[in-house]
Amino acid sequence: MRLDLTILIPHLGFLAEGALLTLEACALALIGSVILGMLVAIARTSSSKWISRLAFLYVDLFRNIPFIVQLFFFYYGLPEIGIYIDAFTTGVVALSIAGGAYASDAIRAGILAIDNGILEAAEVSGLSKRVTFTRIVLPIALRTSVRPLGSVLINMILTSSILSTITLNELTGQAKIVASDTFRPFEVYVVLLVVYAALTYLVSLGITLLHRRLNRDLQEQVS
Amino acid sequence: MLKVENVKKAFGPVTVLDGVNLTVNPGEVVSILGSSGSGKSTLIRCINGLEKLNAGKITVDDFDVSKPKELAEARKRSGTVFQLFNLYPHMTALQNITLAPIEVLKRPKAEAEAEGRALLTQVGLGDRADAYPAQLSGGQRQRVGICRALAMKPRYLLLDEVTSALDPEMTSEVLDILAKLAKDGTTMVFVTHEIEFARQISNRIVFLEKGVLLVDLPTEKFFAADGGLAQPRVAQFLSKMRKD
Repeated sequence: MRLDLTILIPHLGFLAEGALLTLEACALALIGSVILGMLVAIARTSSSKWISRLAFLYVDLFRNIPFIVQLFFFYYGLPEIGIYIDAFTTGVVALSIAGGAYASDAIRAGILAIDNGILEAAEVSGLSKRVTFTRIVLPIALRTSVRPLGSVLINMILTSSILSTITLNELTGQAKIVASDTFRPFEVYVVLLVVYAALTYLVSLGITLLHRRLNRDLQEQVS
Repeated sequence: MLKVENVKKAFGPVTVLDGVNLTVNPGEVVSILGSSGSGKSTLIRCINGLEKLNAGKITVDDFDVSKPKELAEARKRSGTVFQLFNLYPHMTALQNITLAPIEVLKRPKAEAEAEGRALLTQVGLGDRADAYPAQLSGGQRQRVGICRALAMKPRYLLLDEVTSALDPEMTSEVLDILAKLAKDGTTMVFVTHEIEFARQISNRIVFLEKGVLLVDLPTEKFFAADGGLAQPRVAQFLSKMRKD
């Protein structure tokens, strides 16, 4: 069999729609999981036993259940008890919750790595807990956690292909339709391979730039 | 007035401060000497509220550091310079200095920055305002650390072995600045191993031994044969430090 990509030309618009949906879902889930990850990381480093326990429970729970099971539970399970959420929202929420569990790990490691002396300097200068967290703890934690966080985000883009199983026709979903319409799965999935690789490459490029920016004082050592 | 009254502090079974009394009046430079583990740093950390007291009382201008509501006021009145600088690594020298004045004292940014630059110029770092800590030498970092404490206009400057992490050349950079501050009438509590320097700038010298304040004397008297040197432990400490 020979590779003939031209047969896909009539379907490019259709595939692009799917790619756009993937991008939208991933962008929203990216924001959601980073915010959730931060909150959970704060909770896990909290001095309150109950808050930290609850946060650990969340992380352990969602890391130990296959994503597709979580997704099916939200989309097909919840309506049984009267909770209906549309496929797109379910997809974004499920990705955020699952991604947040992993993101919190990366951010928590960054927070724990901060030199205690720096926090003491902030404390004695009278900075409030809120200012200390937003201006000192978080920016320093992100310096180290931005790379592992990048892996989490890339993994999330790859996982987003599973959203096609809840009727959400993102890139993989559309590709499946094109493949069955054209009977040319080889070409279709070749294109899919390239598009996903390009997407994740862009994200890792962005992460590298962000890492460089956050560590600009160490420029020579880092790059 | 900075007042330490009968302060006791223990870490588990280890008593670090055992009934320490100390008064520092505005304008005074008080040096705290003593061997490692004598409780010098812990005393500073009790004054700025980083350690909780087991007993006794510390007040900074009548604000009790053990009372959460008064601690904030007490901390506004004292500035701490640390042995290991503890600068914020992601901020420039200037940002390190202006963060607290802007956030805590609510000073306008432009004003805080102008003052920050003036402070940096005073310590000979006028051209390094935009450098990050990683781009500065140890001595430069500590000078930024001093500026950061001074930017809050503290009534009392607490210095916790601020030259212990520096080589002799960098040490003198930092000590020169402290000498200038002492001359300008800055009140300082100076924990140090730099005995000769302490002798030059201090009004009073305090000697701690195993958490007990053994000697509290005017500088001249401390080094006199019938004063501090009459205490065998002080004489032993001084002769050992001079040999090294």
